[in-house]
Amino acid sequence: MRLLILNHIQNARQSIKSNRLRSTLTMLGITIGVASITTILALSAGANKVISSQVDALGGNITVIRPGAPNKDTFNDLSQLTNDNQFTLSTLTDADAAVVADIPHVKAVAPLMVLQGAVTGDLPAPVNTPVVATTPELETVSNLSVSDGQFLDPNLNPMTAVIGPQLSVEAFGTERSIGKTIRIKGESFTIIGVLKRTNDPVNFNNVDFDRAALISLDSGRALNQGTSSLQQINVQSDSVEHLSGVITEINKALLKNHFGEVDFNVLSGTEISQPTSRMFSAIAGVSVAIAAISLIVGGVGIMNIMLVSVAERTREIGIRKALGASNGDIVAQFLIESLALSVGGGVTGYLLGYLIAFGISTFLTFDPLLNWEIATAAIGVSIIIGTLFGIYPAVRAARKDPISALRQYE
Amino acid sequence: MTETQTPAIILNDLQKRFGVGDAEHYAISGIDLTIQRGEFIAIMGPSGCGKTTLLNILGLLDSAVEGEYILDGVSVDSLSRRKQAHIRSEQIGFVFQSFNLVSRLNVIDNVSLPLIYKGLSRLARTKKASKILHDFHLGEREFYMPNQLSGGQMQRVAIARALVNEPSIILADEPTGNLDSHASHIIMQELSDLHQKGNTIIMVTHNPDLTTYASRVITMLDGKIDTDTFRLPIAKRSDEKIPLNKVSKKSSRKKKKEAKS
Repeated sequence: MRLLILNHIQNARQSIKSNRLRSTLTMLGITIGVASITTILALSAGANKVISSQVDALGGNITVIRPGAPNKDTFNDLSQLTNDNQFTLSTLTDADAAVVADIPHVKAVAPLMVLQGAVTGDLPAPVNTPVVATTPELETVSNLSVSDGQFLDPNLNPMTAVIGPQLSVEAFGTERSIGKTIRIKGESFTIIGVLKRTNDPVNFNNVDFDRAALISLDSGRALNQGTSSLQQINVQSDSVEHLSGVITEINKALLKNHFGEVDFNVLSGTEISQPTSRMFSAIAGVSVAIAAISLIVGGVGIMNIMLVSVAERTREIGIRKALGASNGDIVAQFLIESLALSVGGGVTGYLLGYLIAFGISTFLTFDPLLNWEIATAAIGVSIIIGTLFGIYPAVRAARKDPISALRQYE
Repeated sequence: MTETQTPAIILNDLQKRFGVGDAEHYAISGIDLTIQRGEFIAIMGPSGCGKTTLLNILGLLDSAVEGEYILDGVSVDSLSRRKQAHIRSEQIGFVFQSFNLVSRLNVIDNVSLPLIYKGLSRLARTKKASKILHDFHLGEREFYMPNQLSGGQMQRVAIARALVNEPSIILADEPTGNLDSHASHIIMQELSDLHQKGNTIIMVTHNPDLTTYASRVITMLDGKIDTDTFRLPIAKRSDEKIPLNKVSKKSSRKKKKEAKS
């Protein structure tokens, strides 16, 4: 449309400038909506990134076996989170772990059995302290390291435990708790090691190792009436190339072990973090939906102000039409003005959203993620809102009869 | 400007109706009119006789319900709205009684307003507007806001705006209606100068004194043309201004009938 667009933009800028307070308040509606959406998306993407980057950091040769049939349904996946499965008996057994360990190219197998119960040191530990019964291989598979003492060792007395630094602080008031006794579900364990702080409460093991107590699988079984109930088996292959072969072999072996029933899940790569990231996505989705309501309110604000603006400038519309503006020109003029409001609000909201996200992230263990998808979403949404709520006032302006418009007083 | 050229405007039995049912009335009830290029026409008549409606129809702001309006040899009924807007932009300049400047734009932006819809760049618009403002001796007022100008200045700005597109037809609706006699005189002088340059000017006015500037005077009554000084040949008209009172109603009607037959 020739150079008109440029002119409409100049015009919109001028009109917004001349009603500065009104325009700012209108933009604020969109700003708040876009800011909340940006914050939520940036934080949830950041959280997802944490998990997937952990999987990546492990070198791409990790596969995870989880109980339950594979499920493509998002909402079922949500309920499969290990933490929510406390009351379900796992379908994974020690026999499965043993079979997997015998598969060629498997370097390490770390079954995880997460128990819950009272944990007490000098002070009682928080109620939900996870107790993880596992094998020493977990150290390599999950990239854990001890800051003090040593990791679990099958050659030692089974009544020994390695605890996370935060648990150490909470139960003993210090990170140096080696040699002290911790009571787990009524049994006394001697602390032989304190883990290095990971600051990863969200990870593919679904265990915050900073707050966990690690004991050997045998002790775990003893605390669980002699049976084991594995929440997860972490498997490490000897190289990235062999991983796919290993996964096939695991599937075959487990299928045989489970008499042909597919009640387990072998996950690799991004699949590992999927249930968690899906949960984050679901939470983010719900929050975004709520934030979207504020955007709609903002859009209604734009529509309202544009209708006022059209009414105020009826005479100007008449003049412009008399001077040769077509209906399309008038529509474009007002539509661009509403777009300027919404996009202006959107850009401010996007920046503000990141500011808030970075502010919040100082209290969290992960950083918000900057990516083009969120920027596109923020700007796209504001363009859609501006068009959607701007089109009616603009069309209304264009439909004004020039003669009666000219007769109106300013 | 010879008469062999297509007339600028031809109206055939033009009618305009307002209202519905009992409230229905004709603002214009059958006007036949031919306007040649280069004419300066003053339309007079009492309030409510349809002068402004006629002007709005001529300016394509309004449309007639019946009859034909041929502008430059083209019937406007056949034109799309977009095309009509284009004609308003290219061929028609409006001057209003109440000036109708956009109050939030300064003088130069007001004058360059019609150029926007021609698609000129900002620089070209400003240059052109500045030039025409200088011609109107308003060069020093370029960045004034309309409310900082006197009535006469505002109307001169409005005329400058009407002319910036170099239209062939200028429609003026009581251009001096809000001005004192001195300012009126200046404005009329400007219009007269434009007429000398060959523009077609159609002006609605209440003031009989102003008809001396016109080359042709039409009076309207109840939506019809009452009198018309059309009879004089163009060459004669341009150098001799005929005051309204010299044309009798009777003779004009008679001559009109003769012309029709």
